[in-house]
Amino acid sequence: MMQAEGTLSRLAIWTITALGLIVIYAPPLYLLGVSFNPALQPGLPHLADLTVKWYLALSGETQLVAALEQSLLIALVTAILATLLALFAALAHMELHQRRTAWFLTVLLPMFVPGVIQGLALSAVFQRAGIKASMLTVIGGHLLWALPFAFIVILTSLSVVKRSYLMAAADLGAGRLRQFLDITLPLIRPGLVSAFIFAFLLSLNEFTRAFYLAGRQNTLPVVLFGKMNAGASPTIYAMSGAIFLVSVLCVALVAGPALLRRRAGPAE
Amino acid sequence: MAISIQIETVTRAFGPVRAVDDVSLEIRAGEFFTLLGSSGCGKSTLLKLIGGFDAPTGGRIAFDGRDMAGIPANRRPVNTVFQSLGLFPHMTVAENVGYGLRLKGLRGAALSARIDSALEMVELGGFGPRDVNLLSGGQRQRVALARALVMEPGILLLDEPLTGLDERLRQQMRDEFGRLHKRTGATFILVTHNQDEALSLSDRMAVMHRGRLEQIDAPARFFEAPANAFVARFVGIDTLLTHQGVIREGDATHALIAGEKVPVRIGGPAEPAESVVALRPDRLLLHPHSEIELKNALALRLKVVETRYRGLHHDVTLAFADGQRVVVSLEADQPVPAPGDLVSVGLKPGGAMLISNAGLPAAA
Repeated sequence: MMQAEGTLSRLAIWTITALGLIVIYAPPLYLLGVSFNPALQPGLPHLADLTVKWYLALSGETQLVAALEQSLLIALVTAILATLLALFAALAHMELHQRRTAWFLTVLLPMFVPGVIQGLALSAVFQRAGIKASMLTVIGGHLLWALPFAFIVILTSLSVVKRSYLMAAADLGAGRLRQFLDITLPLIRPGLVSAFIFAFLLSLNEFTRAFYLAGRQNTLPVVLFGKMNAGASPTIYAMSGAIFLVSVLCVALVAGPALLRRRAGPAE
Repeated sequence: MAISIQIETVTRAFGPVRAVDDVSLEIRAGEFFTLLGSSGCGKSTLLKLIGGFDAPTGGRIAFDGRDMAGIPANRRPVNTVFQSLGLFPHMTVAENVGYGLRLKGLRGAALSARIDSALEMVELGGFGPRDVNLLSGGQRQRVALARALVMEPGILLLDEPLTGLDERLRQQMRDEFGRLHKRTGATFILVTHNQDEALSLSDRMAVMHRGRLEQIDAPARFFEAPANAFVARFVGIDTLLTHQGVIREGDATHALIAGEKVPVRIGGPAEPAESVVALRPDRLLLHPHSEIELKNALALRLKVVETRYRGLHHDVTLAFADGQRVVVSLEADQPVPAPGDLVSVGLKPGGAMLISNAGLPAAA
């Protein structure tokens, strides 16, 4: 009886898990399939018809490539700045006592401002101040968007750094800077990496703010959206497919060795 | 090498609360000094002030006469074994132990030689490459100790270092502290709430209560002459009796307790309203009722209230005529008196002391 119940609930859990995974991964996988279809109309290709011609055609799509370059550059700068600022914000949070909660909410607030409103507001303010829309304005908008997430990630990782470690380091002769470099930094390195990746992806994906703030060169999501409306060329599927594959590769590179190491761990 | 510490009218206030309240204390170079007190009495705060992790709001702390005000923890000749140890989790045992020396610029063979000898000293030779997170509690304790001792500090602070260890390890580490104190010759300051540790290790100790030092003395003096009722009770002299007055007859002094004349040594005010009679349990001798000898001038006549078997001895609770109670132990093979019996209790010299009742709850 108990056994049967166990089997049944295990079956239910696996079914739900499988359904969830399908809902999450089916659309991008479908898109990936479409990108290998030689036909102009979207649809899954027959195995025999698989082609990479749209991928080869990508290099000719100067507009898409320029947008991709722009997006990557913006994401890179945003990720670097967001990680650094979030680190400082998190360190400040650690030092504060009574006003901790107020500081936490202040840094977090931009996360809850809808992108449409923030994009519009920033665009209006920039215009008023006479700042021309450019890559920098997009970075500004994305920074506001990515910072709270990076902050939370780093704050979580800072919980590993116990006060007693820093006291012990001070006791052994370390000043504030050495304490930070020798103790805090190595302990929160995984958090910093996560925050960086998080901020990078948030910026790369972001549409609404970029839509308002971009100058002459649009970011990739904006361009892809425009192309969609103008009647899609299959190259945009190839672009999506390429980004998807690169993402998977990145995750494999980061998580793969860690997974292998963990599996090897207990055997030692 | 060892450094003396002068603490002069030091106060550390947190708002209206004085965690350390006007404490003055001189700790001699090379001394093993213990701050003994229950949790929240301010002993750890005082240790933090000495270590430089916190600054006093009043008073002065000096090492060998040199004022330490404004000198942060990382530039004081002090090392600490923290209650939470604070071992760096991302470093190996050797990296933990060598961290302080690396900061001083030591590298290579000289560094590893110092690390090895420190690990040898705490009997962890060969543990250098191990992961600190995978050590047992006692081993982690030793790493923390080695990390502090390798710095050859003039002063070593031990903040409740044995809390959280099991009894066997506790005794082992306690002996270790004594051995290392002799070997290094540094000034050791131990903070603890454990009387055993304090008594067995200290040259001198202080009992702390509500931010104040109640008594500073050699361990034995706390039993021979407790400063007041709080100290007496803290070191385990539980029998504190109110009295009706003091009678002086020649050399002898007696306190009057419910009609009994108890010979006492005066160690405080004699006024009944300000003093109590402390009875040392180890100096009370119960004569079983069959051999009541009223001739003995030092004997008290008390009534048995109850007896309790405690394995190696019996606890016999006795009452004075006014109801105040004394517990006396009786060897297990002695005949046990029945409740209601009258017995006589002999008092060895120094068994009763008249001390200040400070620190006693108002109701008592």
